[in-house]
Amino acid sequence: MDLLNPGGAVTRRFQPLAPRPGALAGRSLGVLDNSKPNARVLLERLAELLASRAGTASVKIWSKPSSAQPAQCLDEIARSVQVVLTGSAD
Amino acid sequence: MVLGTDEFSSLARAEALARGLPHLPLVTVPHPIGGIQPAGVRAKAALVVDEVMQALTIAPRLPAAAERVEEAEMLEAPDDPDRLQAWIVERGWGDGLPVLPPTLGRVKALLGGTRRDPTEVVAVLPPRLGEATVQALAVNAALAGARPEYLPVILAAIEALADPAFNLQAIQTTTHPCSPLVIVNGPLATALGINSGAGALGPGRWANAAIGRAVRLALQNVGGARPGREDRATLGHPGKYTYCLAENEAASPWEPLHVERGFQRAVSTVTVCASEAPHNVNDHGSTTARGIAASLAGTAATVGSNNVYLEGEPLFVLGPEHAQTVAGDGWSKADLKHALFDAARVPLSRFSDENRGRFAALRPQWFQGTSGDTTVPIAATWEDVMVIVAGGAGKHSAFIPTFGRTRSVTRRIGE
Repeated sequence: MDLLNPGGAVTRRFQPLAPRPGALAGRSLGVLDNSKPNARVLLERLAELLASRAGTASVKIWSKPSSAQPAQCLDEIARSVQVVLTGSAD
Repeated sequence: MVLGTDEFSSLARAEALARGLPHLPLVTVPHPIGGIQPAGVRAKAALVVDEVMQALTIAPRLPAAAERVEEAEMLEAPDDPDRLQAWIVERGWGDGLPVLPPTLGRVKALLGGTRRDPTEVVAVLPPRLGEATVQALAVNAALAGARPEYLPVILAAIEALADPAFNLQAIQTTTHPCSPLVIVNGPLATALGINSGAGALGPGRWANAAIGRAVRLALQNVGGARPGREDRATLGHPGKYTYCLAENEAASPWEPLHVERGFQRAVSTVTVCASEAPHNVNDHGSTTARGIAASLAGTAATVGSNNVYLEGEPLFVLGPEHAQTVAGDGWSKADLKHALFDAARVPLSRFSDENRGRFAALRPQWFQGTSGDTTVPIAATWEDVMVIVAGGAGKHSAFIPTFGRTRSVTRRIGE
């Protein structure tokens, strides 16, 4: 028998990704900590490693006040730095 | 680019796809990073730094086409009922319990239960950002075996869940076990046979079972929160199959929930809460309001609830006998809420040192720089304590904590 799809019909439109900066040397790096336990430790250590291995110029850190709600500072981050690392889930 | 642990990569990929970015670089480290020493976390960072550098400098391959039809509207399924169940399970459209086939004929019959246009988009449901049209919701109602007259309740519940205050995105994907508790008020509860009395949260009534289940299946299928993939519940609870009751307004000595919230008694509403399983409160001895309140508050003052560190609206479901005892001492619902807020307090000493430190960032007035005698309330204010009356004869009530970062939402049931 023919059944209707309980997910509804979906057509996905793909978005372009932000262009990669080419080289990381001299780029400003942002970290958005999603406030999950140890997320900041992981992201900060990665930022340190990127500075020593790839020559990223500076790091700025933002934190979400709640891991269960979207960040409010995304525009500010986009204006302030060239490359961003963030975390998803646990 | 996005970092995550390998355990949660299916959720991260689903979120990216929902936003049209399946090619967003995702780098994973071995799970967990929470709950381990910082040195271990830093070591994991070293494991992936090369991958991160690559993700930040090399453009990933783009999808083949600018857009893609992901799912067809109709599919051919087996006629045999048992083979049908296996087919549904393979596609991840069910919940493990048997479903009925959403044929065009059955869905059309369900759509007869509402005046609304089948193409109307009731809500967009995260994390998949699927469009919950009236028809899509009727398809899930058909799977759940709902009757056409239940459809308006299901539609109102979905609208309420999509209200930003509810925070559906978080509730759909969290490791916390929460599931939407659907509370129905007003005359429609009786008209539809939604149980508010004995066994109201147990099995037996078609309406409770099918309404709650239709809502859950819609959240899973349209919202794309599939257990173990995007729905990350560590253990979950059986309310994720169905979780629906009516308030026992006839047995309540107080105004019902929807009247508290400004609706006329004769209007019918649904209220949704992101709820854990009920914690029972057995009290066969108390004969005073103060005594019942002590039992309720004592059960609610728990270290492991989300409300104690994230606040929100913890719910008390008073059995009618307990409600009569409390009201018999002249207490209003507000009096009870005040008493519960004052008495349901968790001593700081009961939390681990590590958690006290973590919670200090979230509720500094309770967890930071306070004396050893401090006890922490389970909500921000007494007004955030919710009380309803439900159940039958017997001396039991229930405490139902919530996810915390969520507000309950009440919606009028339309046609």
